[in-house]
Amino acid sequence: MKRTAALLVFFAFSFAAAPGVPAQGPAPASPPFRVQDYRLRNGLRVVLSEDARLPLVTVAVAYGAGTLREKPGQEGLAYLLENLMFQGSENVPPLQHVGFVQKVGGELNATTTVDKALFYETLPANYLALALWLESDRMRSLALAPAAIERTRTDLLEAHRSRQAADPFFGTFAAFDSLLFPDDLYGRPLLGTGDGLMKLSEPEIAAFRRAYYVPNNAALVIVGDIDAGRARELVARYFETVPPGADVPTPPRPVFDRPNDAVVRTVPIGTDGAGFHMGYRFFPFQPGEIYALRVLEYLLAEGETSRLRDRLVRKDRLARHFSASVDSRLSIAALKFFCLGNNRVMADRSQRAILSELDKLKTNAISMDEINRAKRRFKRDYLDRLSTNLGRALFLVDAAFSGAPLDDLGAELDRYLGVGPLSVQAFVAKYFIPQNRVVLELEGR
Amino acid sequence: MRPAGVPPARTALAAAAVLAALWAPGPAGAQERFRRTPPPPDPRPLELRLPAVERTVLPNGLTVAVAVRPGVPLVTLQLVIRAGEADAPPERPAVATAAARLIGRGTKMLSADYLQNSIEAIGADLRVTVLMDYTVLTMHVLEEYLDRAFYLLRLITLEALFTERELGAVRRTLYWELFERKKDPEVLAWSQLLRLLFAGHAYATGTYAEDVIKHITVRDVTAFYDRFYRPGNAAVLVSGPVDADTVRQRVEGHFGAWAGPAPGRPAAARPPGNDRERICFVESPDAPEATIFAGNVIMDSYDPEFFPFLVLKQILGGTTRARLFMNLRETRGYAYYAFSETEFFRSCGVYWARARVRPDSVGPAVREILREISAMAAEPASPAEIEEAKAFLIGNLPLRFETAAGFADWMARYVALSLDDGQWDRGPERFQRVDAGRVWETARRHLGAKPLVVVVGRPDGLPALLEAFDAVEVYDAAGALKYTARKGVGP
Repeated sequence: MKRTAALLVFFAFSFAAAPGVPAQGPAPASPPFRVQDYRLRNGLRVVLSEDARLPLVTVAVAYGAGTLREKPGQEGLAYLLENLMFQGSENVPPLQHVGFVQKVGGELNATTTVDKALFYETLPANYLALALWLESDRMRSLALAPAAIERTRTDLLEAHRSRQAADPFFGTFAAFDSLLFPDDLYGRPLLGTGDGLMKLSEPEIAAFRRAYYVPNNAALVIVGDIDAGRARELVARYFETVPPGADVPTPPRPVFDRPNDAVVRTVPIGTDGAGFHMGYRFFPFQPGEIYALRVLEYLLAEGETSRLRDRLVRKDRLARHFSASVDSRLSIAALKFFCLGNNRVMADRSQRAILSELDKLKTNAISMDEINRAKRRFKRDYLDRLSTNLGRALFLVDAAFSGAPLDDLGAELDRYLGVGPLSVQAFVAKYFIPQNRVVLELEGR
Repeated sequence: MRPAGVPPARTALAAAAVLAALWAPGPAGAQERFRRTPPPPDPRPLELRLPAVERTVLPNGLTVAVAVRPGVPLVTLQLVIRAGEADAPPERPAVATAAARLIGRGTKMLSADYLQNSIEAIGADLRVTVLMDYTVLTMHVLEEYLDRAFYLLRLITLEALFTERELGAVRRTLYWELFERKKDPEVLAWSQLLRLLFAGHAYATGTYAEDVIKHITVRDVTAFYDRFYRPGNAAVLVSGPVDADTVRQRVEGHFGAWAGPAPGRPAAARPPGNDRERICFVESPDAPEATIFAGNVIMDSYDPEFFPFLVLKQILGGTTRARLFMNLRETRGYAYYAFSETEFFRSCGVYWARARVRPDSVGPAVREILREISAMAAEPASPAEIEEAKAFLIGNLPLRFETAAGFADWMARYVALSLDDGQWDRGPERFQRVDAGRVWETARRHLGAKPLVVVVGRPDGLPALLEAFDAVEVYDAAGALKYTARKGVGP
């Protein structure tokens, strides 16, 4: 495989003051957000970004090894392997990955989503080589000892049961996702009941690791107080000789049959009160639709004066808790609401209030003032997310996995800020229909 | 070293072997020598360079503190009031929180809705934090709306009007928050630990439960506001890509006319702390495991032993490599986790070990925690432990300042408590100076007294605790003593 030339990308966000609220002069452009994007001969995609404000570096390694790579009956495999990545490799004893990072004051974590398993650590910048040594060692020589597999399996199930016992709503989120994303691959929970996890054989686990935890199915992102030249040397030293795996097939697209009407189910919860999860799913979700969807999310549910919070929490006082989130899973996405009230009557009224507010969006014009308010808040949160090494690294991981060229990222914020009332209304009219609505009602004791 | 029983790594890659052999630049079977041991750090020196906090005092006594943080066009604007939960009258706990929560909920001319809309119209929100010794109102805004944010902060703070209607809304919200928080065993344990350690002290005022909320009146809030919301008792803090001189002029323009005498506010004496074996059990019927907190009163953060104590705390339970975790989880299997923490107030600090354990292991787990704490005072820590703890604390320090919120919180603490530069960018030097002798001396001075133990768990977990201890005080979730259970004596 031929090494591709390094790509230097400069992002400069320029912000225009939105009308409605007077701004104090022109907004200065943000500093350049510079990245180098290239591939090693083994297929590993590498993204570097320098930021010397603090003596820290974040190293993130993401593998295309999320839950949608599991086969039927393998529920929990992706999550199990994420955890096995801490159980040692040829030169790093079990659990010492954490130890090495903590010894120098670093922090680390990992997560598994539908499409990827993500590992990251932030540590003092002069320990970049240590992070690369650790990540490359488990990429090339992860130890899958039977005892470690059993211990990890048991620990995961125990932690899962403990969380279920401590949080009466914990299991309802996975149950709701299964309803909202009825395709088996796109809607399956990390662990489920745990039955699948217990049945997984060692060869299955090893095969999954061999197929997906390979450099040609991964992205390495380094952000922080680095010298790019030195970082490239270290990346080459530690990762260039990690053997590639076989070609990794493109993930399967979801299979999804739209029902004739809204899906409504009810589950009991072991606590007082009542509530519901409500979601609208968007399929097939077009890449450009994310901009209107995010602005809609902010208009509806971010900030105390957003439409739904204002109605449910402030004015009608129906909800004790209300939150919303966008869940994007490749070619399918959803806007999800989670609402808790004191009793069934309040919860039912909350549902009706949400539907009524959504109807208003379809029939009444949205003012520029309201759209601009939502976009200002979105912009603040967007910039805030990019203000840390970790936030920027995760942003670059997502960008690398989206398949979009990184030289276009600088224009992303402008695309959000370019959303107008008509795009939001068109999105609502297209997707907010009963056939796309899923409700999981929570019945308190 | 590879864990026992693990096959050589290359056999695990059998499927890719042919491809790898064709591709790999070196011998297929051998790993490179540099992979065998962790690489040393880069030799270049690392320096924590934080922006200076430039402080000035306006003629009306208001402190203005500015930290210039270039890079992201976001600014954090804060108003610090040097009065917190501990400054509430003992008969009116929570009034500091009620007063702060009412800021932004009305002025003589403008309604709560109007003000909330005005703040959110610029993409901002108002975050209210009430700690034991001070209160912080925070607005995190886009740079281009900073002047508007100054105007709004001045408006909602200096022209605040407290009404029964808005107080009612705040009371409802606060009540539910406190009620819900009781479902978290860690919150229950922490509240009870402070409640008992601070009994009879001004800080006890800050350990209230939800039942006190209904007693707060508009008059109480107004009296608190009139006394403490004064320029000589306040500071305006700005951090972000700003020009310090311009900011000072803007603050003076908005807040220069604010008048009123600063209240006398002497620091309370340090609470005496616990000095006897005392085991307390808080009943929490829905808690699936037992949560243990064991702690005591220590020095404040102005004390020379502050940095040695942080090193000590790190050795005891700072990470999963520390003594508590290794003993209670890895060696004995009692705990899901076990760590140690510290919190520092104006008059004192508190340390505590915290662990979540299997209910049937609660007695021996408490014993082990107490043993580990006393072991810190009994023998000096090894040089390796000391160096590892210092490396963690020095290396981890910049992470606290990375986010805008983290930076602003730390800056507020630094200004509100008038801390020295050891709590800013001189922290690494202070940690470097700590040696084994100072840590041991600090441990003997502060860990010699027996810590107070609070266990939160299901009522049926009490017998397991009584197997290990002769007497256990039993409390309800609101912190009220129900009875004292004794070994061998029925309920």
